[in-house]
Amino acid sequence: MYKIRIHGRGGQGAKKAAKIIGQAAFDMGKQVQDFALYGAERRGAPVMSFVRIDDNPILERGYIDDPDVVIVLDKALLEIVNVSAGLDENGLLIINSEHEPVLDTPAVVKHIDATTIALEIIGKPIFNTIMLGALAKFTNIISKDALDRAVEEELSKYPDKIIKANKDAVKKCYEVA
Amino acid sequence: MKHILITGNEAAAWGARLVEPQFIPTFPITPQTECIETLARWKVEGDLPGTDFERMESEHSVMSAAIGAAAVGARVFTATSSQGLMLMHEVLYIASGMRLPIVMANISRGLSAPVTLWSDHNDFLDQRDSGWIMFHAENNQEVLDMILQGYRVAEDPKVLLPVMVNMDGYVLSFTDEPVIIPSYEDVKQFMPAYDPQHTITPDRPVTVGPPVMDEYTDYKAQAHLASRNALTVLKDIQDDFEKIFGRRYHTVDEFMLDDAELVLITQGSMSTTAKAAILEMREEGVKVGLLRLRVIRPWPGEIICKALQNAKAIAVIDRNIAPGKGGIMLPEIVETLYHSNNRPLVSGFIVGLGGKPQTEARIKEITRKLADDLASGRPRIEWNDLEVS
Repeated sequence: MYKIRIHGRGGQGAKKAAKIIGQAAFDMGKQVQDFALYGAERRGAPVMSFVRIDDNPILERGYIDDPDVVIVLDKALLEIVNVSAGLDENGLLIINSEHEPVLDTPAVVKHIDATTIALEIIGKPIFNTIMLGALAKFTNIISKDALDRAVEEELSKYPDKIIKANKDAVKKCYEVA
Repeated sequence: MKHILITGNEAAAWGARLVEPQFIPTFPITPQTECIETLARWKVEGDLPGTDFERMESEHSVMSAAIGAAAVGARVFTATSSQGLMLMHEVLYIASGMRLPIVMANISRGLSAPVTLWSDHNDFLDQRDSGWIMFHAENNQEVLDMILQGYRVAEDPKVLLPVMVNMDGYVLSFTDEPVIIPSYEDVKQFMPAYDPQHTITPDRPVTVGPPVMDEYTDYKAQAHLASRNALTVLKDIQDDFEKIFGRRYHTVDEFMLDDAELVLITQGSMSTTAKAAILEMREEGVKVGLLRLRVIRPWPGEIICKALQNAKAIAVIDRNIAPGKGGIMLPEIVETLYHSNNRPLVSGFIVGLGGKPQTEARIKEITRKLADDLASGRPRIEWNDLEVS
């Protein structure tokens, strides 16, 4: 089973990011479970979302404390949340940051400046979908094509212009990551 | 038929959509809101052409409106949670007393105070004696399937009682899982159009739910017998369901029970985690199995006794608390086994209140303690989430 944990803040789209990963993996014929962990959450509060992906039906439920991949949408979370908890030397941590972060973890750490890509291409600091370009690049759990289709499907209620901007931004992230 | 990734709330909405209800009265409450939002969106987009969708001013009004609509012969759906279900409480008895086949999804959430948004089972177990038929789903597919089966049971002339389909808030309601959506054609084959027999109409005036004297006992006895009938009716419905949709459900879900000496009794979504733990413990040679309660009312006592005939020790895992007593399902199981030829040791564990996660490690810990109880011959009652027992 492949387990992904996403750290973000309320309003940054951690839940949507999990849904898009789930949709992409489901599209690739996998068994999937995705969900977000929140209580009476509000914008800005630390939130988490999770995805489990497997070839067989998934029997595990709940919080993921032994992830294969952790995605961090907001680098300022490093100061208040132990984002690398549960990652081992086979793990991967992808963080939205312009600098290489200093982290005490045995996992491989990659960083991508998704905020700048978002401002350039979408014109707003919306980077949840963009970060998934890096996930597709660094792992083979979701393909670039499946991710493209999932972004299109999950954003289908938005105007074509927004969907295209998101897909372009994901592509850019995939290329530069 | 299509296979899509949806939440438990959306699965409940799909169940309702497929049976084409004529009336959906609603009031939003976390974690049910997404179910109602989904139905409202479909209404606006034209996917529920024959449905009147009404936002009421409270859950008490929702159930009152549901009763009025069902009494004139409409097929009715609604959904609620927690405090909303509590506000409906007195009206629930009127729905069952008037023998109205309403189907309602309850997305379980612990009760205030203090406030929690997370799941436990006190909200619907507090309605245990309301006369409603009560189902409890383990996953999102079962949520949808239980709503379809729920309408068949509710509308059966031998039953005519309202049905509550329960799912765990958050763990199912907000979790995406793959769900097979049946076609309208298959659903129509499974469930012919609703033909209400006893309706209020100006052409044939009748009084329903009036004040009575001695007849009160007769009404209550008939409602009780109707609920018992549902056990027989359900068997046929499960056969039909398998023929048409290819998925088999049993009144009680039995998992690796045949040679199990230790048996865990669970409800709802934590059963999935427990099954995963059991598969791992089986590899270590532990003879453990699981019995999941899917149908809470009517109580399938005989089926439970049969399923437990080889058990030596049982852990009843209650995600609820009756303060001053203990877990709610523990005495139900003990009473049931009192009449059985096999009387295993029974321990009780109270877990997961207010959504506290139930991990595989926790399930294994309960199983180890149950094995200890069997060895010592002394059952225990324990709050498994607390350090002190």
